[in-house]
Amino acid sequence: MFSLTQRFQQTSNQAITCASVVSIFIIATFWAQLYHNNVFSLSSQIANVKPQINLRTSRFYGSVNGKPKENLRIAFDLDADLTPLFNWNTKQVFVYLTGSYNDTKSSSISSEVTFWDKIITEKADAHVILKNVKSKYAIWDAKDKISEKDLDIKLHWNIQPWVGTLVYGETTGETLMTTPAYKKNSAKQKAPQKDASN
Amino acid sequence: MNIRLELTRFLNVCFALASAFMFWKGLSIVTNSHSPIVVVLSGSMEPAFQRGDILFLWNRNEYSKVGDIVVYEVDGKDIPIVHRVLREHKNENSGKQLLLTKGDNNAGNDIPLYAKKKIYLQKDKDIVGTVKGYIPMLGYATIWISENKYAKFALMGFIGLSALLTNE
Repeated sequence: MFSLTQRFQQTSNQAITCASVVSIFIIATFWAQLYHNNVFSLSSQIANVKPQINLRTSRFYGSVNGKPKENLRIAFDLDADLTPLFNWNTKQVFVYLTGSYNDTKSSSISSEVTFWDKIITEKADAHVILKNVKSKYAIWDAKDKISEKDLDIKLHWNIQPWVGTLVYGETTGETLMTTPAYKKNSAKQKAPQKDASN
Repeated sequence: MNIRLELTRFLNVCFALASAFMFWKGLSIVTNSHSPIVVVLSGSMEPAFQRGDILFLWNRNEYSKVGDIVVYEVDGKDIPIVHRVLREHKNENSGKQLLLTKGDNNAGNDIPLYAKKKIYLQKDKDIVGTVKGYIPMLGYATIWISENKYAKFALMGFIGLSALLTNE
């Protein structure tokens, strides 16, 4: 009566049903725990943000046809306790510091850029304390210059679960930073920069 | 040999294939993405995603946000890439958005991966979808089958044998 395909089908059906029930249970408890820990209103302190602008001429730093492009780097202090983001379904937390700003000419053009990010896989490393750290990425604007802009600096996080949906959120700490005007003589002090372009 | 029985069996196989195809295309319409479920092929997003993980995509969002994990395709290469959005520049007048992406596990951003001379992706043209959900490892079977010819033969053999051996 029982054929090979029938048996295979029954076994796989059973396996899929069990796996779905277990996954749904895990995802439900995961979300319940996140809300219980109030993770969507975690606080952070971003302080001492110091912008620095220089010119780059490589395509990999936003330059088009070798035209010099303003690149922005910042140094900052950060204190954020992300321990509540870790529970039994948290595989990794990706934490990133962004700046958002509007175009000076048109209010319908807006941008958001990442200055710094970090992958946290252990609960013990989840309290991030940084002093005078340099941003990982050099930032340029898509069309315009990056100098003389008001940036809204925020810390965001993203949880990758072992199974289920990705969770995104931001911390309540927020800082405003105004980038300075680019001064030509300050660039002269530095030796002419050669960018690596492969 | 019963012709009627053979035909019914054939019809059942067709039915199974057609419903699988319908499910896939239906999911495509709902998510607005031409491939709503993808299997991770590279380790550039480790430890978030490993080779063989299954990702569920959604492409009905108008703009991407920084931190979103997106799947994109580059002109001239047919391998979809799963990376995170590092920057976005959106223009609400034209509805266009420029994106710069980076793999969490890569040292630098994706500009060297983009089509020639490009330094941005376009949300409406290049993005296949944004990752919403995740199942670990189950997709490894598809990688195994597509990269190992013996696995392909074994699968075909198993299907053929079971078709021959079944008699209800």
